Amino acid sequence: MNMQSPPPDITFTRAGIVAGIIAGQGLAAGVLVYGMVFGVLASEAQLTALEAFLMSGFVYSGTAQMATLQGWAHSKLLLPAIATILIMNARYILYGASLRPWMGTLPPHMSYSTLFFLGDGNWALSMQRRAGGEADAGFVLGSGLVMFVPWLIGTLAGNVLGSAIPDPARFGLDFMLVAFSMALAVSVWRGRGDLRPAFAALLVALLVNRLYPSGWTIVAAGLVGALVAYLSFDDEKRA
Amino acid sequence: MSTTQDFLFAIIVMGMAAFACRAGGFLMMRFVPVTPRLEAALSAIPLAVMIGIMAPVLANGHPPELVALVVIAAVMKVTRSDVVAALTGVAVVALGRALGL
Repeated sequence: MNMQSPPPDITFTRAGIVAGIIAGQGLAAGVLVYGMVFGVLASEAQLTALEAFLMSGFVYSGTAQMATLQGWAHSKLLLPAIATILIMNARYILYGASLRPWMGTLPPHMSYSTLFFLGDGNWALSMQRRAGGEADAGFVLGSGLVMFVPWLIGTLAGNVLGSAIPDPARFGLDFMLVAFSMALAVSVWRGRGDLRPAFAALLVALLVNRLYPSGWTIVAAGLVGALVAYLSFDDEKRA
Repeated sequence: MSTTQDFLFAIIVMGMAAFACRAGGFLMMRFVPVTPRLEAALSAIPLAVMIGIMAPVLANGHPPELVALVVIAAVMKVTRSDVVAALTGVAVVALGRALGL
């Protein structure tokens, strides 16, 4: 085990934002098409282009937006919609917690506005860069923005184009986030110490996916991985 | 136009719920001292979440996706570029589906 080295100076610069924008390009294409899918669903649910745009801008949660849209079209009840958002976005609580050691010393207006644009892809990308020594938290904002903007553009385009949009699955775009997860997992793998948390996460994820396939698969995997790493911390030191 | 007003109110509240998730974990950790042990736990989250994202694909076991995952790992090892590796994997999936696998 290496000793706790003093953290490199945390920065938040324009160069970091630009680096994030560039690094996020690959994921942005998939987000654009998914924004289109949401735009189509929104027009089918009788939302105007402006309403769909505002929903994508304020709520910014792909699957949760689609799910609430279905409920909303039927009942117009707010509490089930809020519950859906909270449950389907519970994984972000883990994402935010893991960003605390990196962004905790930034002024709140920087950290919290960066968190507004947090998504699966840009978080995973950012944590990979962090593991590689990245200190510039502008990267998190840049990679977040480069996915947020296509989400908005896609929403509008889908709303206008309607069912003329391409099927994302045909181009494998539904696989984009999984593909990045594999690439980033290979890259953040540090060695034998990761084996136990990773194996535990895999087992729990497969179990939850079997019993109750949902967003909870990710939450359970993240929690169990963290728990096992927490519990095995001392053993690692002795080894 | 009361529907639109209702809807506007609804998306603002939904947006607040979404932001509560995004900011909640970060805010919570402000009040928890990050010991080396806790930091080890936090830094284990990304890999575990990535595995959680892949798990349904592993469980479903469609050949194009499974082959793509192996290809992605190999390309990542060689090129060290997540974009190149991921896009290669997406191409493998698209090709496999086009061939009806």
